[in-house]
Formats: sequence, C-alpha cells, structure tokens
Amino acid sequence: MTEASIVKSKRVRSRIPRRTGGGASMRRRLYPLGVPWILPALAMTVGVIYFGIGYTGAASTLSWNGLTPNPPSVGGANYLRILGDPVFWQALEHTVIFFVVVFVAQTALGLIFAVLLHSKVRLAVFYKIIIFVPVVLAPAIMAPVFRQIWGVEGQINWVLGHVGLGFLEQPWLAQSSTSLGVIMSIQIWEFTGLTFVLYYAAMGQIDPAVLEAAHIDGAGNIRTLISIIWPEVRGTTVALAMLTAIGSLKTFDIPYLVTAGGPNYSTEFLGTYIFRISIPAGHVGYGAAISIVLLVVALTMAILLQATGREKKGRIR
Amino acid sequence: MFEARSRPAKIGLQIIVTIMVIPYLFPLVAMVQGSLSGQGWENYARVLAVPGFALFFRNSAIIAVSTIVIVYAVSLPAAFGFSKLRIRGREFYFWLILACITLPEVVLLAPLFALASPLGLFNTYWSVIIPLAALHIPFAVLLSRNFIDGIPNELFEAARVDGANTWHAFWSIVIPLSRPIAAAIVIFTLLASWNDYLLPLVFLQDPSTETITLIPQFFVGEFNNDQTKVLASAVITAIPEVGAYLLLQRLFERGLSAGAIK
Amino acid sequence: MRRSSSATSRIRLIAGVAVTGLALAGLMGCSSSGTTAKQAGSATKGNLVWWGWSPQLGPAQDFITAFNKQYPNIHITYKLVTLDGWDAALKPALASSNGPDLYGISPGPKVANYGEQAVDIAPAIKASLGADWKSKVTPLDYVPQMYTPSGKLVGAGVGTADGGSIWINKDLFDKYKLTPPTTLAEWVSDCAVFKKNGVACFVQGAAQAAFDRDHLQSISNSIKPGVWTAASQGKAKWTDPTIVQALTVWKSLFSTGIMQPGAIAAMQFPDAQNQFFKGNTAMIMMGTWETQYATVKGMAAAQSAAGVANPKPFVMIPIPYPSVTGTSAPQYSMYGDVDYAVAVNSKSKYVEAAKTFAVWLGTSEAGQQAIANSGGDIAALLSAKPDWPAMGLVDPSVQQAPIQALEDAAGTITQPRLGILSQDMTNAVGAAATSVGAGQATPQQAAQTLQDTFSAAF
Repeated sequence: MTEASIVKSKRVRSRIPRRTGGGASMRRRLYPLGVPWILPALAMTVGVIYFGIGYTGAASTLSWNGLTPNPPSVGGANYLRILGDPVFWQALEHTVIFFVVVFVAQTALGLIFAVLLHSKVRLAVFYKIIIFVPVVLAPAIMAPVFRQIWGVEGQINWVLGHVGLGFLEQPWLAQSSTSLGVIMSIQIWEFTGLTFVLYYAAMGQIDPAVLEAAHIDGAGNIRTLISIIWPEVRGTTVALAMLTAIGSLKTFDIPYLVTAGGPNYSTEFLGTYIFRISIPAGHVGYGAAISIVLLVVALTMAILLQATGREKKGRIR
Repeated sequence: MFEARSRPAKIGLQIIVTIMVIPYLFPLVAMVQGSLSGQGWENYARVLAVPGFALFFRNSAIIAVSTIVIVYAVSLPAAFGFSKLRIRGREFYFWLILACITLPEVVLLAPLFALASPLGLFNTYWSVIIPLAALHIPFAVLLSRNFIDGIPNELFEAARVDGANTWHAFWSIVIPLSRPIAAAIVIFTLLASWNDYLLPLVFLQDPSTETITLIPQFFVGEFNNDQTKVLASAVITAIPEVGAYLLLQRLFERGLSAGAIK
Repeated sequence: MRRSSSATSRIRLIAGVAVTGLALAGLMGCSSSGTTAKQAGSATKGNLVWWGWSPQLGPAQDFITAFNKQYPNIHITYKLVTLDGWDAALKPALASSNGPDLYGISPGPKVANYGEQAVDIAPAIKASLGADWKSKVTPLDYVPQMYTPSGKLVGAGVGTADGGSIWINKDLFDKYKLTPPTTLAEWVSDCAVFKKNGVACFVQGAAQAAFDRDHLQSISNSIKPGVWTAASQGKAKWTDPTIVQALTVWKSLFSTGIMQPGAIAAMQFPDAQNQFFKGNTAMIMMGTWETQYATVKGMAAAQSAAGVANPKPFVMIPIPYPSVTGTSAPQYSMYGDVDYAVAVNSKSKYVEAAKTFAVWLGTSEAGQQAIANSGGDIAALLSAKPDWPAMGLVDPSVQQAPIQALEDAAGTITQPRLGILSQDMTNAVGAAATSVGAGQATPQQAAQTLQDTFSAAF
C-alpha cells in the first residue's frame, strides 16, 4: 500500500488546491473574476433545463392532456396518486436492481478486460475496438437485433440447444422472471466498453515498478489485482458508480424498444413509465409529477454518491 | 498487468480474451446479417434511395457539428472558471449545472416545446441543437473540470508573472493541454446528437431539416414493419460514429483517463 | 412570452419558486395563443402537408397523383410517421402554428386527443355526396366515436380495418391434410399435428395490447356476442361471466399449445407477422387489412421484409374465429372501425383546399376505388368494391371466395374495435391478457382489475 500511495502523490498534489479550504486564497493569487467564464454554461443549462424543471413542476399540479387550453388545477393529487401506484413502485424497484446488477457486472467485466488487455495480448487493438463499438451504437439501432437474439427461435436458445444445455432454453423475453435480466444484459453489453476504456486508461497510470515489486514478492495475478490494481483505480470506480446511477435513472430506450416495459410491467422503468403516461396516454400532469419525483431521487443519489466518493478519497490521502 | 511468461500461459490468456470478447462481437454480426437478409444488398440500395437521404445525412452532420462546437465552446471556459478562477459560491453554481446531468430527455419534451414554439424555432436546427447542447454541457463541464484540475497551478502562475491575462492563459495553456478531453467531448457529444431520435421527431417536421435517425420511419407502417431495411439504415447510421471513434481513439482514451478519474 | 424569455437570465438568482411562476406564465401564454384567424383560402389551390401513420408512402403517392389529375393546383406532401412516434410528433405540431394541414385520425384516443383541432368535415361530405351521405358510406364513418364532444365530425373515413378473422397458410393445411379448425378442440388437434411435423401452429404478438384486445373480443363474441362491446360501453361489468370465461379460454390457448412459446413478448408487427410470412407457421390472427398480403406483390414484399431470401408465395385465406363453446359452426362475428380518416387542421392556411382533398379521398369514386384495390382497408364508400383481377391474388380460385366472404361480413359490422376504449383501458386489457397468459393472475383477478381501471378512468 505504501508504494501505491507514493505513486499516487503526484496526481493528488495537483488536486489539493481545489479540495482543501485554502483553495480560495490560492486562487486569489491566480486570476480573479471567474463568473463571466461560467456564464454561458449557466445560461444554457439554467435557461433550458431549469425552465423545463419549473415547467414540469407547474404541470405536475394540473390535470392536463398537453393540448387543452385551460387545464384544471388538482393541487397535490397527482403526487398522492403516485403513492398508491404499484407500477411506479415497481419501476423504482427495477431501477435499483438494474443499478446494482449493471454496476457490479460492468465493473467486473471492465476491470478484467482492462487487466487482460494490459497483459501483452496479441491484437489488443482489435479486442478494444470490438468491446467499444457497442458504446457507439444507439440502443435504438440494436433493439431489434436483441429482440431476435433473445427470441424463442433466437440464437441464445440455439446455442444452448447445441451445447447440451437444451433444458435451459426458454422464452427469455416473455417471462417476468427473465425479462429484466435480459434488459440488464443488453445494458451491460452496450456500456462495458466505456467501463473498460476508463479502467484501461487508469491502469496505464499505475507505475510498472509497483507491479514488478509485487511479483517479485511472490504475489500471484489475482492477489495483485485485488491488493494493488483495485485500490489504484478506486477513483474510476466511484466515477463509474455515479455514471451508472444516472444511467439507470435515465434508462429508456432499451426497455422501451425491446420489451415495451413488459411483460406485466416487469421491465418498466421510470423513464418508460413517464413516457407512456404523458405521451401516448396523454396524462401530462401525472407524468410531470413522476418526473419531479424522478428528479428528486436522482439528485439525492448524486449527492450521496458524491459524498461517499469524497470520504473515500479523504481516507486515501 | 498479469504475468504470463510461459508460452502456454500466453496462449491461455489469448484464448480467455477471445472467448470473453465473442459475446460482444456476436450481436454486431447478427445485426449485419439481419440487414442483409431478405433482399440482400438491395436493402441498402433501398435505404440510400429514400428521397432526400443525402439531405438527412447533411442535416444530421450540421446538428452534430454545431452541438459539438457549442458544447466545447461553452464547457471548456466554464471548466476553466470552476477549476482555476475565483468565483463566489463556486460549488453552488457547479452543482446547479451538474444537477442537470440527471435529467432524462423525455421529461424535457413538453417544456422544450413550450419554449421553442413562441420563439419560432420549429423546423430549425436550433430547436434540436440548443436542448442537446444544454443536456450535454453538464457532463462536459464535469469531465473537463476534472481534467483542468490536473493542470498544475504553477503553469498559470508563471504565465501571470509573464504578464498574461486570463484570456491569454486560457488560450495558451488550457486549450492546447486539454486536447485529449476535447476528444472525449467530441465523441460523447457526437454519439448523443447523431443518435438522437426523440428531439428531431418532435421538432423537425420538414424534410429539409429532418435527420438520419428518422429514416427507419420510411419502412415502418401500420400493417408492415420491414426490419431488414431498418437494420440496413442502422448500419449506415453507425458508420460515421465508428469512424470517428477509430480516428480519435488514442486521444479519446487519454482524455477520459485524465478527466473521469477524480 | 417576451417577458418570460428576457427573465430567464435572472432565474439562477431567484431560484425555484420564480422558475415555477415563470413556467406557469409560459404555459398559459402558449395555450391561450391557440385561436387564430380563419383563413379559408381557395378550394382548388394550395400547398398542403399531410401526416399519417397510414397509408404507406407508395400508395399515398398514388392517391396524390390520382387526386392531382382532378385538382392540379393543390400540391400535397405526405409524411409517414410511425404509430409509435405519432403522439410525440403530432401533439406539439398541432399546438404550433405550422403543424400539418391534414393529419390522420381514428376513433377513440386519437379523436379524444386531436379531434378538437380539426375542422368539422360533415358539411363538406354533404356537399360531395348529398344530404343522404350516410346511406352511401359505411356506418362506421359516423359512429359516435368519430365525433368530438362538441359534435364535430373529425374526418372523412378513408376505410375500415376490421377484426374477427384468422388467416391461415392454406398450403400448410393442405400438405398435412388438415381442415381449418371450427372449434377449440379441432384447433388443439390441428396444432398437435403441425407441431409433430415441426410447423408452428399459431402466432400472436401478445405484447401489443391492441391485438390482445382483438383476440379477447373474438373469444368473448364466440361465447356470447355483444358482451365485450357492452362492457366497453359501461353497459356490462368487466367481471361479467362471459369475460371471465373469455379470459379462461385465452389462458387455455397458452396451456394447450395453440399459442407459440414466447407469445407474450412478441409484437404483432414485426414479430408475429414475419413468423407467418416465413412460411412455416400455419395461422395468425389478423383482420381485413391482411388482404393486401394475399396478392402476389404484397406477399413478396411481406416475405422479403421477413428476411426470406428467395420468396415463393403461398396461398393464404381468412377463416372465422373458431367456436370456443363448440356448439355451432363458427360465423364471422366481426368488429371494426375507421382505420384512418383525414382530418383538416383548423389552423391550416388552406382549410378549403385541405377539405377538398380529405373529402376526395374519403368519398370520391376515384379515391375510394384506389383504397379498395390497395387491400389494406375496406373502402368507406359502399359502391367501391375491390377489383380482384387487378389486385392479382396468389391463387384467385382458392382465395377470392373466402376473402369476399370476409369483406361481406365486415360490411355488416356493428361492434366497434379500438375506437371505443381509452388508451388506459387498452393498456389495461393488454396487461390483463399477458398476466393471465403468463399465469400471474387468474381470469377473475384480471377481470376485476379491468373493472377497477374502467371505473377509475382518469
């Protein structure tokens, strides 16, 4: 651990001014008047997105189909309705499961790929490209492909049948017990590439001497991974946790296009539910109320993650 | 990372990686195969023959490039400001922007419409570019702020001693040093804007501004749904993105490594 | 609105409360700008934009070309929008001042959502067909679901789409010397033979609620006609024994091997449709619209869309839904409504020209004959009959009589199809069907849920 901390010090140092309380005085000696520099970004996000949030907040108190001129106000009724809406709670539960499973699987796969491709494998570039290309493809593009692959007559069942696992063949997308798993596997397929690239890059910054020393001390590959590499890339892991959390809350395309939230709401997520409620069903007011709840959940989650992330960093230092 | 000195160990490693990568390759193969089933290459010919195909392609390019330019031009100064300049209530503003990361596009449809309609933005590229940029600025700011945090303060101090003003420091230090993070911003923004379906669907109603993601619509009707052509258009849509990634691969990975690792 | 946009830059200081107020102002500002001055314009001249989820691009262009022979100075651009994207695209467009001049509409949720934006078309239809216009078109054109609460007729129905039939691959039935099932028991035994020979028996895209609804209505009609419609109208309970029994029969379709495995996750389009046109599936539940694929040309398109490399057309014919009680020979007990009508946007700059086209497509001999020959919809104008030789059925000697029988049955429809249920109710029917099919709810529970949803209508 000590070598690792020393190696890290170079990067940590450059961060100190921002993190410590003394940052302000340090910055005073640099350039003053930062406000104009952040103004365009603030104006755009605040102008567009906060307008959107305010608008959604206002709409959430109405009974409105999005078109009629003078929708009646219903106060907090839409919010009360959420409390008793089983589909909403299911959607929330799916989001949590989705986050945990996808995060764990992506982290494991990304880490293993990164380690393996740092290990003098031939044609590493090709492997890297294959793993990353899914990130580039829009989920909308891939949805029909996955519907086919996981279909009853699809390739997954075909493979199972041909490797002697025929008893495992099943209508994956048609069962509430397996559909969420399929949706998560698609997400993992799409975004392992990103996890991998991040870990791959992070590992590139580990001092080879540290690894060499570990090997000389007789540490095996697995041991090295657990006690040297994993702590070294913790920062990346925290960042990925946050990205995955946000991604989980925003999940829309894959469940919407692959299973349409079904069967029996088993793959319903907040995003798909909001869309279904507000656009085809035309309950813009109720959809807006769910949106506001989604936003509150998202912010709480982001703050929590940011807080734990900081705590860990503090400990390392 | 892993030690594989003996020949069998090396071969074993190679085999493990190959097996692990197959599930990633497989759907891509299925996609290309699907796009060639039925009428084969004729599917591609039919997609390319959609009236106005070149126009859609151009429109997507205009929207993607403009969004990238805006996101870059707005985020980098902001990141610089948050990282190196004095701002009262800095963290408050930072969080104000960061909070927007969490917002799904779906939630914004109705309000964006209310905003775009009176401003006369319908059927203009701006109606898609502005919301797309607004949605992706927060992530770009986050990435590039972390990156710029990594640039030592000493560099700026030295520049200041040499008499450079803020603008000069930004121009001569931040811009050149942040090229890798620019690659990351370009790729992420390109993916988001090129692949976007919902905003063009709602705001671009005239063939002269419609984008490439609307092409599959030509093959999906009430009582028919020609997936072979939908997949062919998907492959065509993906080509520029894969190309951009391959081109910027090195820079992109470097940018991410410095930007996302906090 | 100007006030609100200049104020946006201050929001960050004022924080949330102000944002909300501002947004409200925006909201009201926009919605109150809905009324615009009527500019009728000329009835024979104009530039029109027409949006629809149907027809397809090819037929739409044919219709426009035929229309332009009569009205050369009305220029029309057709834009096809998928049903999936329809609400997202049309809602803002209609609220804006440059939405389409003409847009597709159909009874039910679409009339509820977009009917008020349409011009009342009834006077124009009267002008075209005369005061007795109702005797010249299908009664489905003027069912209550085609009118807004304020009494406007939202559009001139172009054609109807009607359900209650099953289409079979006649070649497969002949090959295994089977006769089309007339009862549930025969259906089960036919399926057993097909299955033994590696042929899929029946496909349904049960993930699409509208087609579950069709199937349940057919079962229900086979038990006791009319109960389904009565429940949809609130005149009977959804917990009526007939509907509970219908859900029970539906459940048995899954347990007796009639339904294909994985039906619950399949979409009717493209999954089930493609499976049928791959030629290795004996039956599919589709309505009159499937006639368009019984032709050489339509079949070839459907087969290549299904990914068949060198398509060989097969003979497909419609049969009535089998009798689930097994008491009488099955007869068509159909339900249907206007597949699409063309509505005229009241904000259009060319309202008169737009009316000219909408009425031409829905009521003129030329327009309606083109619809009849397309095989997609049954023409709304009673005098327009399909020209079978011109359509080119795969095997007219076998197909023409059963298809004609289907169309005749469709001509006597009194039960509505999709138009009578709200979007929430259609979703609820889909949820009931999939949960019963998957064994997650009993038919009684599902019926109760339907009744609850119906009573709790937003």
